Amino acid sequence: MTIKQKTKLPANGGWLGMSDMDAMGPDGKPQPGFDHRSSKPQQADPKAIYQMPLTKEEQAIMDGKKGPELAKVMKIVVAHGNAFGAEKLVDLGGAPHSSLFTGQDYLLPAIDMLQECADAGLKAYAPYTVNPRCYDVYNVENNVTDMRIIYEGYKVQRDLDWVHAQLGAPDLNYRSCACYLDEVGNKPPPGTYVAWAESSAVNYGNSALGLRTNRNASGMEMLCAILGKAPLFGLMTDEGRMSSWLVEIKTSEEPDWGVIGTAIGLKVIDANPYITGLDKYLGTEVTNDNMHLLKKMGSATAAAGAVGLYHVENVTPDAKQKGRKLLMKDYQTYVIDDAEQARVLGNFPTESKGRIEKPTICIIGCPHNTYHELVTWGKNVTEAVEKRGLKTAAIPTLLLCPNVVRDHLVEEEPVLVGAMKRAGMKFTNMCSLSYVGMKGFSERMYAVTNSPKTRNYYPFVRYFTDDVLLDIICTGEIPKGA
Amino acid sequence: MAKKTFKGRPLLPGKLEGKALASKQPFNTSGSYLENLFGGKKDGAPCTDAVNKEFYKKELAGAILCFPTTVGSTMGGVSLMGVGFLGQGPKAMLYAEHADSVSLAGLLMDDVWNGRRVITIDLLGDEFLEAVKTGDPIAIHEDGTVEVG
Repeated sequence: MTIKQKTKLPANGGWLGMSDMDAMGPDGKPQPGFDHRSSKPQQADPKAIYQMPLTKEEQAIMDGKKGPELAKVMKIVVAHGNAFGAEKLVDLGGAPHSSLFTGQDYLLPAIDMLQECADAGLKAYAPYTVNPRCYDVYNVENNVTDMRIIYEGYKVQRDLDWVHAQLGAPDLNYRSCACYLDEVGNKPPPGTYVAWAESSAVNYGNSALGLRTNRNASGMEMLCAILGKAPLFGLMTDEGRMSSWLVEIKTSEEPDWGVIGTAIGLKVIDANPYITGLDKYLGTEVTNDNMHLLKKMGSATAAAGAVGLYHVENVTPDAKQKGRKLLMKDYQTYVIDDAEQARVLGNFPTESKGRIEKPTICIIGCPHNTYHELVTWGKNVTEAVEKRGLKTAAIPTLLLCPNVVRDHLVEEEPVLVGAMKRAGMKFTNMCSLSYVGMKGFSERMYAVTNSPKTRNYYPFVRYFTDDVLLDIICTGEIPKGA
Repeated sequence: MAKKTFKGRPLLPGKLEGKALASKQPFNTSGSYLENLFGGKKDGAPCTDAVNKEFYKKELAGAILCFPTTVGSTMGGVSLMGVGFLGQGPKAMLYAEHADSVSLAGLLMDDVWNGRRVITIDLLGDEFLEAVKTGDPIAIHEDGTVEVG
């Protein structure tokens, strides 16, 4: 059972009322969130103040050789690493990914900090990706009422977008939580040290791509990006990537990837699960045609728990390389069979009191959709609408994706895109969590979704299988027994 | 009550005396400040995290917070910077367990960048949390020693 945030948000409150780290144990008691997992033996006295060794160049930066701003960046990153017993700083590769995306007032001190860095001529070590904006005034909130809510709620979005641009983020067409999509292009090779933020990107990057990143706090990822270095501890180390849980998937047919992800997150909290029984559905390679399944499962493990890394036997890079040697001594075992999957799905909390009675919108794509998902949903919805003799669907479908993925679809499947538009499907590059949770929009909608992550944050959003969602999209009604 | 002494790790050391605000549940650094972060409230910081029964609706501004560890979204660090910016941050964060990476990131950023220090001590132990109650007098020393009572 999970305990959900019941706080009545202030009038313009946002999505932070729900937490991706509010992990609760099976007994209902809260569990610690992302915790100390430094891989190396700790000092004899863990309470003694620790100082990681620095190179001469790193020490010189801390002493101000490259300016006061970079000295402060170095002090923060080193102090953070010291607290977790980091062995040293490591050079980062690939490209950064930032989860600083909500242009609300409380971010002002972080924006000011980054602006001072930009004013000093500092930049990220490589062009980087950023989570999507919280809103879309082109395709969704494109009227006076909605724009008022947006512009009053996100007053410093301009400042945030501008500082990202100065520090090296590309234009807004590349904004996405799924930075690793080919069209977005932030997909470093296995083994690369990065310092990403955004729970689902960290989860996918560590697991499916074999990257080495901790689950960074928003803000810290940008300081590491500016420094080009991060402290080596936790999920960046061999020891920190070991598994204390063996999860055996033993369903009689292909599992519901969102449900098993949720089940795993609730069970292992912030450990690294080693998952077996999935290669029969995935094959032995992560491809553009199956990555969405890992994305769906992984984001659920990160949202229902705080999983930053999982291994899938015979599929993900670490597991292919090391196999069951990744299992720690005395690991625990969790079996998910048909009964367990049904039990977890049956316990998804739903909150309908005081809300609209019938679905008003279907939201597909949290994390953002892949090209493969857009094609699949486009074909499935348009065919279902046509098969039922309808001119359009009963409720609109929002397809969340970066603009560059939408453009890919327009280029490859222009006829399908036309049919999708006629069937009430809209593309948008915003963050669905922010949209669904934003006061002013939230109470006007009854959303249904295929996203276990969105469902986890908001119990008033209903999660359904793809077949049931197709039915709801066409009829506007939730089928009996669904 | 008899005075009890606990030794923790002074991550952001300082000296302070005051009264404790204690909870045996984790402190949600993003969900506890919603009225400040989204409502812009500058004359107090009532805890908005209903999950934490001991902190809920209590005044967090200027508090000496005692808890096992922190939870919350990865925005929790910048949330702490945000309430510090509004003048509504805590005076001290006393962790019974190891500080988590998210909250500590925010505390370090605000300390180093803006010179706003929230005294931060972790690893005070389960006994600390067993001993300390809301309203207890508390004295914090530079070396990470905390006296309760």
